[in-house]
Amino acid sequence: MRVHVDVERCTGHARCWSVAPEVYELDDLGYNVTAVKEVPPGLEEQARKGALACPEQAITIED
Amino acid sequence: MRDAGRAPEVDFDVLAHRTLAANDAAWAGLRDCPVAWTPHHGGHWVISGYEAVAEAFRDWETFSSARTDPAVSSITISGARLPLLVPEELDPPEWHPVRRVLAALLSPQAAERLRPRARHWARVGIDRIIGSGRGELVGDLIFPVPAAVTLEWLGFPEADWPVFSHAFHDAAAYPHDTPEYRAAAAAGAAVLGRVTEEVAARVAEPRDDGLTAIACAEVDGTPIAREMAEALVFMTIGGGVDTTSALASAAVLHLHRHPDDRARLLAEPDLWDPATEEFLRVYPPARTHARTVTRDVEFGGCPMRAGDRVLLSEVAAGRDPEAFPDADRFVIDRFPNRHLAFGAGIHRCPGSHLARIVFRELMGELLERIPDYRIVEPEVVEYPNWSMIGGWAALPVAFTPGPRLGP
Repeated sequence: MRVHVDVERCTGHARCWSVAPEVYELDDLGYNVTAVKEVPPGLEEQARKGALACPEQAITIED
Repeated sequence: MRDAGRAPEVDFDVLAHRTLAANDAAWAGLRDCPVAWTPHHGGHWVISGYEAVAEAFRDWETFSSARTDPAVSSITISGARLPLLVPEELDPPEWHPVRRVLAALLSPQAAERLRPRARHWARVGIDRIIGSGRGELVGDLIFPVPAAVTLEWLGFPEADWPVFSHAFHDAAAYPHDTPEYRAAAAAGAAVLGRVTEEVAARVAEPRDDGLTAIACAEVDGTPIAREMAEALVFMTIGGGVDTTSALASAAVLHLHRHPDDRARLLAEPDLWDPATEEFLRVYPPARTHARTVTRDVEFGGCPMRAGDRVLLSEVAAGRDPEAFPDADRFVIDRFPNRHLAFGAGIHRCPGSHLARIVFRELMGELLERIPDYRIVEPEVVEYPNWSMIGGWAALPVAFTPGPRLGP
């Protein structure tokens, strides 16, 4: 599984990080800097929840 | 003249409702009309569907929050005379470096460092009433705690705190024809005076506090303009002292009226995370924001013209059944919950991370130490209108007394 974060669309709500801190990484202003990432095995559910939590709908999941 | 054939017109006056129930009912009445025109307040668009509100918030170039009249706030529909609200009333490129200052100071990581202070002030607030078995939760706890966290972090002396917090709270909580409101307006001018003094003092002699970080910030490689720093401090105070209070007042009353939700939070504290989002969805402290259309555009099937005023509704977006199943019901573990209580797009609330922490510590301390509180319903006082900030001005309470924890 891979996550794609549209970092241009991210406005720093940090909800993804709040529910999936092991998948999504923030810069020191609280904006997502993950861009594209292979999800480590076992964290798929967290990654999905993080995407669903984003109010900007900036995260897509590629299975 | 409007093109009435294409734009639905509604009789919607956002300032007309004196109670939460009336305001909620009025928004519910617009559900079949996600974008509409109302003739009230000089005539403006009302955007209330979830997707339309989110899209308008994100499209800052078409729906600008920048000032068009130096004396009048652009983000209220009522034409409130307020100092420039920075960074919200700036658009890019001016917006970006100023927003950056605030984003760094209130990032999730920075906000987390203030959690112990939020816990401390919540404990002090509960200590104030716990021995007596009765109190007034807004004045004793809900209203002083967010103010103390914000103003202590900024670095204002404790003597300023009640003056500042009353200035913002009373302006929202009392009708415009009352002595309390007039006193709040006068206090607002005094707050501006104190902000000017303290910003100048930090430029002269920096300290380790939020005021210094703002007063001595760099914007595009040069020191921030003095009036920009003052405006940023004023907005930070306004954002910090009364919005979290409004949310907590709604949550406290909700848990009184819904004992099943209170019991679940007491039994399963992990529910606080989804419950916080659900309180934000159902009782957003900032219920609406206004914008100005910058170009002729068709939006939601409606012909908008440059200069038109628009009201975006965070609260109606949160009740849109297309976006939230069972939207009128409070579901304590709702997920996903992409409410727009903090807005969306570039101007989304930069204080959201601290707000969640202060709310959680305040509510946690209350429920842990006074789990059986009962609100004295006949003495409850609501804010006089629910147009922009909604909340409760007084929540008298009775409970089983308990021990003070002390400093």
